[in-house]
Amino acid sequence: MSGLLRPRVVRAIAGKELRSFLGNPTGYVFLTLFIATSAAAAFLDDGFFGRNLADLATLNRVIAPILMFFVPAITMSSWAEERRAGTDELLLTMPVRDLEVIVGKYLGALGIYSVGLLFSLANLCVLLYLGEPDIGLVFATYVGYWLMGALFVAVGMIGSMFTSNATVGFILGAVGCAGLVFAGSEPWASGIVGLAIFAGLGALTMLVLSGVAGLAGVGAMVGAAVGFVLWRGGGEGLWGGFEETFAGLSAPAHFAPFGEGILRLGDAAFFIGGAAVALYLCSLLLNRRHW
Amino acid sequence: MTTHHDPPRDVSIRVEHVSKIYGDFAALHDISFTVSRGTVCAFLGPNGAGKSTTMKILTGFLAPTSGKVGLAGFDPTDPDQRIAMAERLGYLPENGPLYADMTPRELLGFVGDLRGLGAALPGAIARVTEQCAIGGVMAKPIGKLSKGYRQRVGMAQALLHDPEVLILDEPTSGLDPLQIRDVRALIRELGRTKTILLSTHILGEVEAVASEVVVIHEGRLVFTGSVAAMRGEGTLEARFYELMGASAAKKKEVA
Repeated sequence: MSGLLRPRVVRAIAGKELRSFLGNPTGYVFLTLFIATSAAAAFLDDGFFGRNLADLATLNRVIAPILMFFVPAITMSSWAEERRAGTDELLLTMPVRDLEVIVGKYLGALGIYSVGLLFSLANLCVLLYLGEPDIGLVFATYVGYWLMGALFVAVGMIGSMFTSNATVGFILGAVGCAGLVFAGSEPWASGIVGLAIFAGLGALTMLVLSGVAGLAGVGAMVGAAVGFVLWRGGGEGLWGGFEETFAGLSAPAHFAPFGEGILRLGDAAFFIGGAAVALYLCSLLLNRRHW
Repeated sequence: MTTHHDPPRDVSIRVEHVSKIYGDFAALHDISFTVSRGTVCAFLGPNGAGKSTTMKILTGFLAPTSGKVGLAGFDPTDPDQRIAMAERLGYLPENGPLYADMTPRELLGFVGDLRGLGAALPGAIARVTEQCAIGGVMAKPIGKLSKGYRQRVGMAQALLHDPEVLILDEPTSGLDPLQIRDVRALIRELGRTKTILLSTHILGEVEAVASEVVVIHEGRLVFTGSVAAMRGEGTLEARFYELMGASAAKKKEVA
């Protein structure tokens, strides 16, 4: 048996995803919106001209919320549309592994995001027109944008796996990304993200142990209750570092060094590792059809 | 359960004591049957009998709750064996789901890439285009094709790699009489060299294309054997209703 991931299969699936998105007028609408929104956030903020610096600092402050909406728009139909049309059955009964399908779809969606990011380099042209930007700083910033998008694409794909409705897939993906955007913004927000993660782990544990999808809700409630006791139990909480721990999931905090021109391995590992964990969850969810 | 035993032959599809349980609902209950290599077997039963569930299990899309299945000598529930099995299987799922934004040419190219046909792909596309008579629609988006053409494109993707086993879930569903005649002729032709399991709830289809028949009702096997053995001294229809213990309503559904 050949390797775990056969490039031929992954390439075919990624290519299908890319063609499907870019062969559709809606895809171009989303790309245009992303470019327009990122340009508006970069240059229409009063602070940009007030600072008199040719950089993307104003965009960096809001890039995470922008991606929180833009990336799930790419991934929303990734699985939902397959399920609605029944083509998931066609695809998954081909001689392909689940992991190849997941990675292929992921790379396809990441490719679409990368195309959007490439077009948004128009922002650099504006900076070059207005002043003398530090190209190294812009490069590091774009590496950060790309890494954050790589994580959000994987999270958005999880949202799309729960439903056969692309709109619901978008909402679930945006909620998942919102957790990474708002974690660390306030202690209570980090706490809520922690609760959501405990609920998700509870649901997943129940699914794996029982194999009954209907019991996932019970697992989620038990997980959330455990999380709440750890966070707030006895007034002070049984786990003192609950909020701080989940504040560590903040995507803007891990992105910030890139926006300052610093490429830190730990921050890159956060985005890449997070994407790997999300893709692993995707493979578990895809496997649930056997339960 | 009524069974008719033929002399043992090389088995291509094997289902042993398979059950599929969803919560409190048993979609399949202890189903066992085999399909010999090189035969066309009709999988007969009313809507909701469990035909599609059985086919999803045979193709590896779903796993059985209990029991064993085998196809072309491989176990679809084993991840690695499922790949080897899928290389030998052509599958037309229920309602012929296809990517609506692709043209038939793009779809066949995509399927060929997944199957690793490589340099053999152009020849394979030419062969199935002729076999399924889809030459006139190769450049049109599948979403804009008639149901009949979509079904033919579905057949074409199932035949692209010249598989040794074909599983067709209601291949004539939604087709007009002329299209049904053509698809049945194609199945008869393919049945000379391949093992075919096709599900249907149309009795006429069984007599038109199949030599073997498996009948299930409410997730339970009620007959397996030759079409002639099922028909016995009477008609296939009479025997079917007898097996179903059918109500008038069920008769209307199957007619």
